[in-house]
Amino acid sequence: MNKQLLIQQPGGRGKSTARPFSGRTVGRAVMWLFLLITAILTLFPLLMTLSGSLKTGAEMMTGGSLLPAKPQFVNYVEAWKQANFARYTWNSAFVSVMATAGTLLVAAMAAYVVDRRHFPGKSLYVTTQASMMFISVGAIVLRPQFDLMVALNLNTTLWGVILILISAHSSTFFMLIGFFKAIPRELDEAAMVDGSGFIRTFFRVILPLLTPGLGVAGLFAFRHAWNEYILPLVFTMTNPQLQTLTVGLANLRYGSSAAMQIHLMMAGACLSILPMLLAYIVANKSFIQVTAGSVKG
Amino acid sequence: MHFKWKRLGENALFLSPSIILTAALGIYPLLWMLRYMFYDYAGYGDPLFVGLDNFRLLMRDGLFWESVGNTFIYAGGKLLLTLPLSLLLAVILNSKLRGGNLLRGIYFMPTIISTAVISVVFYNIFNSYNGMVNTVLMKLHLISQPIDWLGPKYAMLTVIIVAVWGAVGNYMLLFLAGLQSIPQDLYESAAIDGANAARRFWSITLPMLAPVAQMVIMLAIIASLKGYESIMLITEGGPIGKTEVMYLYLYKLLFPVSTGSPVEQQLGYGSAVGFATAVIVGAITGLYFLLSRKMNKLY
Amino acid sequence: MRKKWSSLVLCLLLIAAIAAGCSGNGNNNGNGAAANGNSEGSTATSSTETGTPVQLKYWTDDRHDQEYIKELINKFNETNEDNIQVELTVMSENYTQSVDIAFSSNQAPDVLRLKSANTAGFVKKGYLAPIDEYLTDDLKAKFGNLLIDDVNRFEGKVYSLANTGLTLRLVYNKDLFAKAGIENPPVSLQEMVDAAKQITEVGKAEGIYGFALNFKNPKQAFDRSIREILSLSGYQGLGFDLKTGQFDFAPYSQVVEYFKQMYNDGSILPGAEALDIDPLRAQFAAGKIGMYLSFSTEPGVYQDQFPTEINWGGALAPTLDGQIKGTSEIVSAGTWLGISAQSANKEAAWKFMQYMYGDEVLKTYHEKGFGIAIVPSIVEQAKDPEIGGMEGFLVGEHDSLWPASPNVTPEGSTYADAFFKYILEGGDVKAITDDLNTRYNAALSKAVEKGEVTVTPNPAFDPAKPQGE
Repeated sequence: MNKQLLIQQPGGRGKSTARPFSGRTVGRAVMWLFLLITAILTLFPLLMTLSGSLKTGAEMMTGGSLLPAKPQFVNYVEAWKQANFARYTWNSAFVSVMATAGTLLVAAMAAYVVDRRHFPGKSLYVTTQASMMFISVGAIVLRPQFDLMVALNLNTTLWGVILILISAHSSTFFMLIGFFKAIPRELDEAAMVDGSGFIRTFFRVILPLLTPGLGVAGLFAFRHAWNEYILPLVFTMTNPQLQTLTVGLANLRYGSSAAMQIHLMMAGACLSILPMLLAYIVANKSFIQVTAGSVKG
Repeated sequence: MHFKWKRLGENALFLSPSIILTAALGIYPLLWMLRYMFYDYAGYGDPLFVGLDNFRLLMRDGLFWESVGNTFIYAGGKLLLTLPLSLLLAVILNSKLRGGNLLRGIYFMPTIISTAVISVVFYNIFNSYNGMVNTVLMKLHLISQPIDWLGPKYAMLTVIIVAVWGAVGNYMLLFLAGLQSIPQDLYESAAIDGANAARRFWSITLPMLAPVAQMVIMLAIIASLKGYESIMLITEGGPIGKTEVMYLYLYKLLFPVSTGSPVEQQLGYGSAVGFATAVIVGAITGLYFLLSRKMNKLY
Repeated sequence: MRKKWSSLVLCLLLIAAIAAGCSGNGNNNGNGAAANGNSEGSTATSSTETGTPVQLKYWTDDRHDQEYIKELINKFNETNEDNIQVELTVMSENYTQSVDIAFSSNQAPDVLRLKSANTAGFVKKGYLAPIDEYLTDDLKAKFGNLLIDDVNRFEGKVYSLANTGLTLRLVYNKDLFAKAGIENPPVSLQEMVDAAKQITEVGKAEGIYGFALNFKNPKQAFDRSIREILSLSGYQGLGFDLKTGQFDFAPYSQVVEYFKQMYNDGSILPGAEALDIDPLRAQFAAGKIGMYLSFSTEPGVYQDQFPTEINWGGALAPTLDGQIKGTSEIVSAGTWLGISAQSANKEAAWKFMQYMYGDEVLKTYHEKGFGIAIVPSIVEQAKDPEIGGMEGFLVGEHDSLWPASPNVTPEGSTYADAFFKYILEGGDVKAITDDLNTRYNAALSKAVEKGEVTVTPNPAFDPAKPQGE
């Protein structure tokens, strides 16, 4: 009840005391109008992408109407086959899955030790991880990272990109520490008493209990890897066949007939948005809970 | 004794992947930068030690300082639009209104989409000659002539709009989390005391939200200073450098793109610029941190 | 809650399993490539004996001729007797960056497309191998008078050979000119400004504007327009004064004034500031642009990429005062292919290069309109390309090659950025010009000091005969 009043402020405060009924209505109308306009503006680019992906090249070129005259589903086939999106999608999937799995494993192991045990240098380690999230020197790190991958002979594969993505695991690390805290220590101890070793306890007892945490953290790691642009851009510059969706799509702008292929670009954009969108619809709650949780914790 | 060594071994085993990766790909690049910022190194041949020359060049590099100014405009514009808008949405959605979950889902959606992909889309819909934004505005008779969204006058506004579009949902959610942690009985007792809605907002909601808001704003400042991916794809810093932000300028020093000023790869000078940008962002964050703590004490 | 999570994780694992299966392939490919890279280095000498083909990588950023080049390479791969296999990679705007990265990571191609804009840089960075040892007397005779210092010959060593050049012209929409009541394409800049204004007045309601250039990249825009206007007016087109051996942007600034006038008049397509060349062509093909300036690649583009129904043509660029006091510079001439210094198979690379420089290939290249032949023996044999609009671009009495101008990197903004800023925002053009002169000449003397550039002033230089007699 109180909250209901609280929300009226944007539109109808002040009036509500004099003419409670009409003030309330006007306030609600203004509020809903605001909410709807915001929602439309939020969806507008996505709807334009969708509608553009179904237009012909000529329709796209001249601007014109909001909706395609006749939906061209063939655009998707063309983007998939000719514009090489099949290849890009596999590359993106490979990078994202491997980076997610790697990030989760590396961060979970570290977080487990940090949460459960004391060891010399622990605070140094945690401080370093925390500062990795805050120091930002921009693209300059790409060069030494690239040189390192050349030395390891990993620059001709996507493993270089994957390793670099995994190396940025500090936010996952802190997220997982929160989840570890929720698992009672008695469980480890009980398992140890039963003769289970440290490693076995971690993989057999603790990790399964961490599944929800891993799911949520994985979702974020996956989103990050899937959407990453500059890192794969630089690493695949000499190997166009390794390009991910984001890079391939952006490079389409320079294709030999890019100006006539905006419709394919839009179809490609839809293809690259779709997997994340599906994940979002399935796991909407966790996205929201964790984003929200990051300020509470 | 054996037991202790075993524990240490286990610790090392579990921590080493993280430590090795962080050291090699997180810390080593920083050290690399700290070394090469004293060198003249264009990416080929032998690096030449030049002492502080790169920093002298930095001091008189008008393009860099222009990009710093643009970064402030960009970040400031983004924050001024994003924070109030997301707070407002959060306050509204905090009441259990019908369809609230759906709306929240919609507003949050942009945060899951790749900045690169949506920037390519935005470039096409903001085009002045065939972009959908102008088409729609003209159909609604809000404008009579196409607006040159990517021209020198509006390009900055356009990239800010794109940034706001991508950020509002995220901060809305963070504010929402803060709002939901405010105990309900505070409002109830205030209502009994006869405080009206406005009063309750100013004297309960805002102060109670302050700790969360402080952190949210901090995150927002860092994120808005760091962002350059979407600018790179929409305007490449142009026209005439109007949207050149410092991290984009840095990128161009390392990987010269076809457009814009730096025309040759300069790793040594780039390292100096990288260091300077990190210091600038660090200083602003630190300053904000100090100021917000002072404000807290005043309360 | 638990259940939902486990299903989600299951989902992810499934995807992981599929992707891992596929990635196995991707990974193998990758490793395979890496292994190939190694074997190129270590077993190159024995490769012909064992029968494994010699793999060559050819990189280019030319897109307009890629179908023909693909055809040529396929033919070479099938017919050559040395078991050489060439793999073509067509790069985009990132070409120079990609080459830089490739050379710093042992992935360099064996054969590279060289353009006058990037050759000097590549030589300086040590990317290229000289080809003098391969040059037979026949070849020397064929290309002899096209070996130009600082274009394809650096410090006495030859790195590339000429194939074609590009002429530059004013490209104009005849229909729009007629509609605006203008009979002929402009010969002076003032006429160009007037024509642009008239066309815009007539067409603006339909979104038609008099003039446009791909100003997203001001340097590319100016180097296809002002460069030509200047050389035909009697000045070097990139702001370099060949007589004094110094930079002098004063003539440049005069041309810029006319561009500024068009901008102030509102005769330039709105949004041109964010325009790449291809979207510009698409708009031109749609009849929305009165005129622009560009290379002799345009006819091919309007035949293949952007088929158009408008009547258009190419004409000599306008000059400062309507008088032709110089010659229109044939650009990107003198270089075509070069061999990587890192290549382990330079002999094979040369064989490929030799094939590409064969008479038949060069002749067809010209006849298909991909470039305009400048090698004398080819010019004699080749027929004029049969492409609509090409007539306006053919080499005539007002076209010639110019000596190279030094390529320097000034501190601060380039001439293109500085002048484009002036066009959009105004300012003191004299001060801008002086500042550019100072900064470019400072960079020039620094480069000369370092030994990266040599400059020989030629007080007797005659813009009407840039190559001497």
